[in-house]
Amino acid sequence: MQVVNKLTKEAGSLIMIAGILGILAQFILPNGISLRTEMTTLMTESEAVAIPSVSVDPEGDLEAVNITLKDAHKAYLDSTALFLDARDPEIYAKGHIAGAINLPAGAFMDSLDYLESLDRDRLVISYCDGAECNASIDLASNLELMGFRQVRFFFGGWQEWIAAGYPTGGTSQ
Amino acid sequence: MDRCRLSHRGNFSVTHIFQNWDNEKFKNVLYLIFRVGLGALFVYASLDKIWNPGQFANSIANYKLLPLPLLHLAAIILPWLEILCGMLLIFNYKARTANILIGSMLIVFTLAILISMARGLDFNCGCYAQDDTRSNIGLGKVLNNIQLIIVSVILELRFRRLQKAEQN
Repeated sequence: MQVVNKLTKEAGSLIMIAGILGILAQFILPNGISLRTEMTTLMTESEAVAIPSVSVDPEGDLEAVNITLKDAHKAYLDSTALFLDARDPEIYAKGHIAGAINLPAGAFMDSLDYLESLDRDRLVISYCDGAECNASIDLASNLELMGFRQVRFFFGGWQEWIAAGYPTGGTSQ
Repeated sequence: MDRCRLSHRGNFSVTHIFQNWDNEKFKNVLYLIFRVGLGALFVYASLDKIWNPGQFANSIANYKLLPLPLLHLAAIILPWLEILCGMLLIFNYKARTANILIGSMLIVFTLAILISMARGLDFNCGCYAQDDTRSNIGLGKVLNNIQLIIVSVILELRFRRLQKAEQN
């Protein structure tokens, strides 16, 4: 029992020291975070969704903005935007926004050759499944780092697009 | 025959481990490798999380298990707890406590991965470098963690035995 008490006390002290070091580090680190979880509100066509700011912009340097279904559809009709599907290839193959290119957020480095060939001033819209995923945000962040100047992430994503009955491509069509 | 000879020259094989299991010196070396190895792994795992707390908070958020008000707090404390415990384990100071904390963290991480897999989620586990796509959650990650939990349990049994021997 004495040993258990000693171990519990030591473990508590270690957690406390880790907490103090962690909080102090946030003042020194270039991209330190606050103790309180900050939230960002993103608009889908039907609702406002509050998600942790770190999910939108983990490093605090994202400039890409959210685009709504209405604006994404308008860009689609005007053929001004390139849609990039950030989901896995198997899911993309089943169904995607018509004309969208598959560029899984996790395999960004494999697509560098393709991206290099694109005009940096072109409007690029990334999307994934919907409000439950953030691959579209990760992809938008990477595109920005690569020098694309007009990046938007379509937060409503695939779910909102098919619910609206807009044009799609893929095997399940 | 050749294999035997190689083994006697100090080649490391499974047979060699079993043949020498009763040898206390050999056991000590193995425990040392386990202790320093597990500690070093935790120090390594913590570095990217310490440098990119926002990325790590995002990884924790992906699991959708922790109440949102605790998200940043966890992302701030966990990497420092990992590095602290890892270093204590390497330097063998308060090593039993550090090992218990490491084992507990591993169990919690593994459960979190299993729950996320059951929910059909697929994302970077946030275990090591945050942008490493090979680190996505999955059975491979669970098996990795189980191996580490076994190492942690072996070390705990060792620490317990040493403590008992000291008391006697």
